[in-house]
Amino acid sequence: MNKQIEELLPFYALNALTDEERDLVESYLLEHPEARQQIEEMGGAVSSLPYSLPPVEPSTRTKQALMARVAVDQRAHPSTQGQPSRPPLTRLNNIFQAFSLGVAAVAIIWAVILNIQLSRLQNQVSSLGDALIAQENSLEQINAKLPQVTPSGVVTISLSGTTSRPDAHGQLIADPNSHSAILVIAGLATLEPGKTYQVWFIEAGGPVSAGLLTVDENGQAVLILTAESAIGSFNSIGISIEPEGGNQQPTGEIVVYSDL
Amino acid sequence: MTDQVKSAQINAIDPSVRIKSEKELSRLGNSMLLNEPSDETLASQVARGDSNALETLYDRHAAMVLSLSLKVIGDEPAAEDILQETFWRVWRSATTYQPQRGSFTSWLFRIARNLAIDAYRRRNVRPQIFFDANDADLLTNQTPDPNADVAEQAQSVLKERQVRSALETLPRMQRQVIEMAYFYGMTRQEIAEATGEALGTIHTRARLGLQKLREELNTEEFEG
Repeated sequence: MNKQIEELLPFYALNALTDEERDLVESYLLEHPEARQQIEEMGGAVSSLPYSLPPVEPSTRTKQALMARVAVDQRAHPSTQGQPSRPPLTRLNNIFQAFSLGVAAVAIIWAVILNIQLSRLQNQVSSLGDALIAQENSLEQINAKLPQVTPSGVVTISLSGTTSRPDAHGQLIADPNSHSAILVIAGLATLEPGKTYQVWFIEAGGPVSAGLLTVDENGQAVLILTAESAIGSFNSIGISIEPEGGNQQPTGEIVVYSDL
Repeated sequence: MTDQVKSAQINAIDPSVRIKSEKELSRLGNSMLLNEPSDETLASQVARGDSNALETLYDRHAAMVLSLSLKVIGDEPAAEDILQETFWRVWRSATTYQPQRGSFTSWLFRIARNLAIDAYRRRNVRPQIFFDANDADLLTNQTPDPNADVAEQAQSVLKERQVRSALETLPRMQRQVIEMAYFYGMTRQEIAEATGEALGTIHTRARLGLQKLREELNTEEFEG
């Protein structure tokens, strides 16, 4: 027995030797079965040490990451792991083989169906692409016009109906310094033939026609208004019911009126 | 198995319950696991590319591997990385595991410990390495994981109690040398330097400590 080497054995079992010391011990172990026996005995005690610690439950994320990594590895290297030797064919194997062939056939049919579906989807994607291009063209046209009606300094003014049409409501979107505005209105009744809604800007000198308004079946309408003066120069806005073609001055029932 | 039955079984292994024989209980725990494949069987399945077997091994031992890694490196995110890497190595190297050379858990813990020690050496940071009152608390206040399998839980608790009890019989300085070497991978020279003791004293403490631990565990009965 080499006393110096024997002193290293506990640290070999504890895996706490330098590389050089470990090589020394391993050479010694090859020729000393009694030392190997000691290492085995000490190794049993060493392997118990982690059990002195309280278990700590890992996060589920760690397991998911590991198993995902394993799944990728299985797909990438299906033959990396050792495979069991193939036993002689038995009846069970034949059944299994037949079953596998059946599964393969189903898989092929399924692949064909998926291909057909894929082709249909590709056609749909192509149609949607064309529609998208058309929409983009429309958007470009709108964007080209937008600066004319939505310059900086735009304000939104709420409009409300008069007592004769309390459901009427809407918004006037305008830059007070510009001569244009967008009128969005709802809650107006569709008019009998021969009648029309007329929009008025009201200033100190009296009302000025801002255009005729036609509502849809839901009582809604959007109208771009233009005026000779800046929108901010008017005191209020109103909508009245006038004879078809409109009037020089409001003469009919006023259904919307709001201060600007 | 109903929650009531599980609860009753967990209570039955509560440390506060008086137990006549640890070995008797250990055998009970083993018998509860008889229907389950052994770690070594599962390891051979992993070697053939069975990821389900790997998952079973993970479920059985991840908490202990994480605990060991955490003890060494002292940082939970890093310990979780080591846990993942440990089982990844099991997956990739299961063909090299030889059951005749030791239990699966010995092999598994060796992988985890070496990875953890390498990691903290790279960081050049040493965690707390001496026993203190908190260690004692940790060793005595174990709460079974409510989601774990009851039989595995029984085994785990029994092993902890056996090892804890055996370690408590060691003189503090012997226990310290063993812990510094095992959990922190300190060489005998480093331990001598850290403790201010002669190298010969460190040799003696390590040898006597492991000898006594082995006797206390009666490793023929302990299935580490």
